[in-house]
Amino acid sequence: MGRRLIYGTISAGVMGLLAFAAPVVAHHAFGAEFDADAPIRLQGTIVRVEWVNPHSWIHIDVPNADGTSEVWMVEGGTPNVLLRRGLQRECLQIGMELIVDGYQAKDHSLPRANGRDVTFTDGTRFFMGSSGTGAPQDGAERQSLEAGRGRC
Amino acid sequence: MPRTPDGHPDLQGSWTNETLTPLQRPAGQGAVLSPDEVAAIELGREEYLLETTAIASDPNRPPPDPGGTDDPTCIESLCYNEVYTQRGERVAIVNGAPRSSLVTEPPDGRIPEATPEAQAELERYTANRAKFGEYDHPELRPLGERCIMSFGTSAGPPMLPNGWYNNNYIIVQTADHVMILAEMVHDTRIIRIGDGPRLPPDVRPWMGDSWGRWEGDTLVVETTNFHPLQRFRGYASDNMEVIERFSRVDENNLLYEFTIDDPATYAQPWGGQVPFVQLNEQIYEYACHEGNYSLTNILSGARYQEALYDYEDTN
Repeated sequence: MGRRLIYGTISAGVMGLLAFAAPVVAHHAFGAEFDADAPIRLQGTIVRVEWVNPHSWIHIDVPNADGTSEVWMVEGGTPNVLLRRGLQRECLQIGMELIVDGYQAKDHSLPRANGRDVTFTDGTRFFMGSSGTGAPQDGAERQSLEAGRGRC
Repeated sequence: MPRTPDGHPDLQGSWTNETLTPLQRPAGQGAVLSPDEVAAIELGREEYLLETTAIASDPNRPPPDPGGTDDPTCIESLCYNEVYTQRGERVAIVNGAPRSSLVTEPPDGRIPEATPEAQAELERYTANRAKFGEYDHPELRPLGERCIMSFGTSAGPPMLPNGWYNNNYIIVQTADHVMILAEMVHDTRIIRIGDGPRLPPDVRPWMGDSWGRWEGDTLVVETTNFHPLQRFRGYASDNMEVIERFSRVDENNLLYEFTIDDPATYAQPWGGQVPFVQLNEQIYEYACHEGNYSLTNILSGARYQEALYDYEDTN
């Protein structure tokens, strides 16, 4: 089935989604929007990036096995955090190729998914790690980690 | 300490209250963290962040596991990796002491249990909500999801870090008003300074009715008349009062203290101290409604799943 693999099945576990949830929800409900039983891996090229709250959305054109393609919308983090982490607009340009893994939206008629891990095709992530605590630590290990930092 | 032309401490600027210190004190923990404990928390976080965000993923990785991830750092099983969060990198330091909890009153750092009456009220509310499907209507979704109020209690009051991201604020101050903008989700509270008439009991705006006064160099703000749907921690009564104290400690730090006084819900007042640290950057706009695909995805996802059940039932 080409480069797009969807392992989505509807199971009895979905019944739980209809149960009443606690009235206090601390955060945007991933479980309400995305299907835990529909893991997905996508590889495609960026056609549009929406830097919008409450979540960014990256649109990627994903080739199908039959030669056609389909544009998927991938939900990312809040743009404020991405910008603070150093993910500048230039880091995500139209035409760049990305690999995304995550879970498909519960509405399977929509080509949408959350982007649990979004990388370039060599696996590098597209942003830098934290700004650092400034505290002393093991220099060798840290340098090794920083050497692998993403490309933006 | 910076001061405004009228002589009061200048609280203005961009601030963040993100911290690795939890709201409540973990069991068996002292009030003040030892240097080793601070190092374990802060360096542990740093290493985790580097390991989970800087090391490349396998480009040939398969999709994640069905059923979600068991990553203990995820609040929900489908969570993003750490690229998408900004929980803070430091523990809270108050008066030079690294704190194990933001709650400091009662002294055990734990929020008192709700009264039996409040628990009964929550059960009644929960039972009433259970009459409806939680995805049946947009107004049954949480306030944060609907872009009405911040997730958690970022805007408050009390203004507490949410443990995820965007724990940032702008404070603007005049002689007779203080405005606080919470980045999450663009909630703006205007505090009047002085002693004017409070709102009548049946007028209940989002974030309540806040009045401030200066006690020496500390701005004391009392807030009542909370909107009934805000339901602080799920239990708040109509008479909840929140008292906040803002003190500018130095150029880069502001101490924020809060007290929850709600006798119908808690047998004793409780509260805490949260450091606000100067942000040397702008607060980005949080235009929530404009890009809120999530709410429509949640509702259309529920309709899709219902249709599947209907299909399975009839086949």
